Amino acid sequence: MTLFGIPVLTFITFFPLVGGLALLFLPRVRRGAVKLVAVVVTGLEFLATLFLLTGFDAASGDMQFVERAQWIPSFHVQYLMGIDGISLLLILLTSLLTFLAALSSWEAIRDRLKEYYLFLLLLEVGMIGVFVSLDLILFYVFWEVMLVPMYFLIGIWGGERKLYAAIKFFLYTLFGSVMMLIGILVLYSHYHTFDLTAMLQAGSLLPLALQTWVFLAFFLGFAIKVPIFPFHTWLPDAHVEAPTAGSVILAGVLLKMGAYGFIRFSLPLFPEASRKCAPWIVALALISIVYGALVSLMQKDMKKLIAYSSVSHMGFVILGLFTFSPLAVKGAVLQMINHGISTGALFLIVGIVYERRHTRLIADFGGLSSRMPVYAAVFLIMAMSSIGLPGLNGFIGEFMILMGTWTVNGVWTAIAATGIILGAGYMLWLYQRVMFGKLVDPANQSLKDLTVREFATFLPLIVLAFWIGIMPKPFLDVLDKPVENVIRIVAPGYYKKQTATKGTAPAMGEIQSVPPEERLGLSHLRNEVR
Amino acid sequence: MDQAFSAAGLRYLAPEIALLLVAALSMFVHLFFRKRGQRLAGYATLAGFALTAVILALTRTSRGEIFSGSLTVDPFSLYFKWIFLVSGALAVFLSFRFFNIEKSEPGEIYYLLPLTLIGMMASASSVDLISSYVAFELFAIPSYVLAGIFKKERRSAEAGIKYFFLGTLSSGIMLLGMALVFGLSGETRYAAIAQSLAGANSPIALTGMILFFVGLFFKAAFVPFHMWAPDVYEGAPTPLVVFLSTAPKAAVFAILIRLMVTVFGRFEVQWSLVFQVLALLTMFWGNIAALIQKNIKRLMAYSSIAHAGYIAIGLAAWGEPARAAVLFYLAVYVVMNAAAFGMILLRRKNGTFGEEVEDMRGLAGTSPLAAACLLVLLLSLTGIPPTAGFMGKYFLFAAAIEKKMYILAAAGALNSVISLFYYFRIGRAMFMEEPSPGPAASYRRPAGVETFLALAALVLLLWGILPALLADAAAASVLAK
Repeated sequence: MTLFGIPVLTFITFFPLVGGLALLFLPRVRRGAVKLVAVVVTGLEFLATLFLLTGFDAASGDMQFVERAQWIPSFHVQYLMGIDGISLLLILLTSLLTFLAALSSWEAIRDRLKEYYLFLLLLEVGMIGVFVSLDLILFYVFWEVMLVPMYFLIGIWGGERKLYAAIKFFLYTLFGSVMMLIGILVLYSHYHTFDLTAMLQAGSLLPLALQTWVFLAFFLGFAIKVPIFPFHTWLPDAHVEAPTAGSVILAGVLLKMGAYGFIRFSLPLFPEASRKCAPWIVALALISIVYGALVSLMQKDMKKLIAYSSVSHMGFVILGLFTFSPLAVKGAVLQMINHGISTGALFLIVGIVYERRHTRLIADFGGLSSRMPVYAAVFLIMAMSSIGLPGLNGFIGEFMILMGTWTVNGVWTAIAATGIILGAGYMLWLYQRVMFGKLVDPANQSLKDLTVREFATFLPLIVLAFWIGIMPKPFLDVLDKPVENVIRIVAPGYYKKQTATKGTAPAMGEIQSVPPEERLGLSHLRNEVR
Repeated sequence: MDQAFSAAGLRYLAPEIALLLVAALSMFVHLFFRKRGQRLAGYATLAGFALTAVILALTRTSRGEIFSGSLTVDPFSLYFKWIFLVSGALAVFLSFRFFNIEKSEPGEIYYLLPLTLIGMMASASSVDLISSYVAFELFAIPSYVLAGIFKKERRSAEAGIKYFFLGTLSSGIMLLGMALVFGLSGETRYAAIAQSLAGANSPIALTGMILFFVGLFFKAAFVPFHMWAPDVYEGAPTPLVVFLSTAPKAAVFAILIRLMVTVFGRFEVQWSLVFQVLALLTMFWGNIAALIQKNIKRLMAYSSIAHAGYIAIGLAAWGEPARAAVLFYLAVYVVMNAAAFGMILLRRKNGTFGEEVEDMRGLAGTSPLAAACLLVLLLSLTGIPPTAGFMGKYFLFAAAIEKKMYILAAAGALNSVISLFYYFRIGRAMFMEEPSPGPAASYRRPAGVETFLALAALVLLLWGILPALLADAAAASVLAK
């Protein structure tokens, strides 16, 4: 499939770059034009990613829209792109959140606009690139490219301790990624290709001991990104200091990359090591859930509270992934999207009052609902979405994860469930302290409610929160096959057991008799989209 | 033997002969044009370098021996000759700018540089102990003068003296090693020595090798033989540091690689171990010491030490992928280091060039193009895609992993992270800090320097996005047995 004659994945990856280069030619003083171009480019990019839906086949578990070309022939590095349902959802989330981030920066960013939007667009290139790459080196290139604009977004437009937060973010994540690079190179020395699909086809070639080491190298890269306790210490600093748009993207997309890395690379490439390490990782995930929630409870700064709540929420995602039950894994992927929506929105919400009052301390607010009723409603919806109220998106994801985990281990489920209770606690308490009570501080008397532009940034997120909450089927449908592909590799016993004990639909039996490459979702290798 | 000096053989020496003529011409111009002799000598040299480049391009495919087999011309040596020439040309180009602003132009550099290049080119071609040593001294001695040539600056004289003493010490050690090797084999030709050493499992040969190498390690500034480097690089005039920190190192690597492959091939296990240790020491020490530097020249001096450490990874993991990886990284290193020292010419305060990290403050505001180019450079130095520095490290680490040297590769990767911290102190100063009130400011728009940085950034991006451009050339130039 092509867009304006350019293969569609290449188009959506590099379109923001073209937009960014266009920005460079605008005179610095034309501030309005700079903002407009940035918003239009990110908007068009969102439309371009929506265009993917027209050609996407949800019933297929294969990689779609595959593009393949030689890049560094002597080292077998390819320019290989392709997406499945998991990447599709994350791409849509990325382009939507970047668009909203650009929109929300309209008033908030006042100096060095050109550079700001340029970095935002470069960031989008890196993020989309990560989700479409199927060659490990290509993936790695995008993975690292993304760090640089984020570093500058935090470091230039951030808060008081921006310099410290920016370099801390950069150092932590770079450390994780270079370890992953070593892992990738070890994989290459056994497979002699960086092509993920070819690696999966070849099966696991690494001896278990080495596989565990390589798994751990990847784990460092992804766990720091997610972040899983105890690798989370960069996150509160980065989140608190980043400008609103930076926090939205950081929480909404960047954290997902770690989880995406687990499901796309770690689980299928290192099935034995994944199974071996799963209990440990689940333990860390459970600690993240409870610890993140407890720390959130006692935060004085709204942004920091939401930052720590991300640690807790991402703990759920990791828990879901490492139970290897299709239900929980699907829930985890959906929860990635949900977290992007709700936490992205919550950071925008904090940004709204920060822009007006230049403080984020909970104690400085109170009784805002009387002055800002629309704002209060939006905040309420998103807080509920974050808590996991039935009817909203958060509930579906968390419920699926807990259900899936229950089939594996009851104790894990019980511990994770306390995270939900604590989550309701810190979120409702936050809402109460900021929104209800008496409006004491005179500075809050004159607060304006949401403008139309601001409300417009929230609208898509609210729609999505309800949509996923009420009718999650279209979202889950695209996840069915890709998740099944992963589970068949990492937990091959799962489907066999199910067919044996429950004798479910004959379709299962049919799948079993299909040749292995079909089952792994690799049939596209034979009939690629050209 | 009668063919030794035949005209046909001399054709292989064309680049060196051209450089000799350039040096002579430049010297006469310098002496006879009283008024603008220095600058004219510089133009003569630059034109001569362009001519040499044409000659080099024409001799691309040839392969042959000269002087009864004491020099050889092969793709390997040609690859290095390109590196030397580019590095020399950059130094000349930046010297115009530098000495013009400093208002004291020592015209001698314009004929010392071609002489140095002759020595380097000959040393890349040498396959004989005697010619190797002569070539080595031919580029070493003028380089001491170059380091100390900036008479206005006292640090420059100190740098020249330090460089000289350490240099002669290392030559002495190297000569001792050569003597042992010669004494044992009775041969001076590399190939003959290798044959004669083939059977002997003598500790004397091993000692000879180690001494020979140690002499070279000084020049390559491997830790713990690096002490001279920061002082020399800090003191020597900046445009010449662009040269001194790149070309002599490349020349030493050329000699080293040839020795490893031809003469001491049978000690592969031993030298591989030596390089593993050196790589670890050099990377860690270079990067850790760079962390506390405030002066960009010293910082980049330690950074260049660390980069030699990365290259040592490739030497330790010598084999099919490593051979090309080392050549690739050397070319990238030359571009990166040239730009890294070139950046110092961007800013001026109190009558000197701004050498401190602080002096880079606010560069993004005053000259955004230079800041953007330097950002590419810093990314490349750290090894972050899409730059040539990343590709270079990737090839080196891949080579190490191919040889199952996992720890070495992981240490290299870890060092990239350490280096991020100090490289991005410069990035931070450029983009995130306001210019400190008063002194450091861009002087009148340094267009020449900006063009140079833009070119370097472009090359680094190009090699990073399309590494095959350089990797194929490197792969075609490897030295196999």
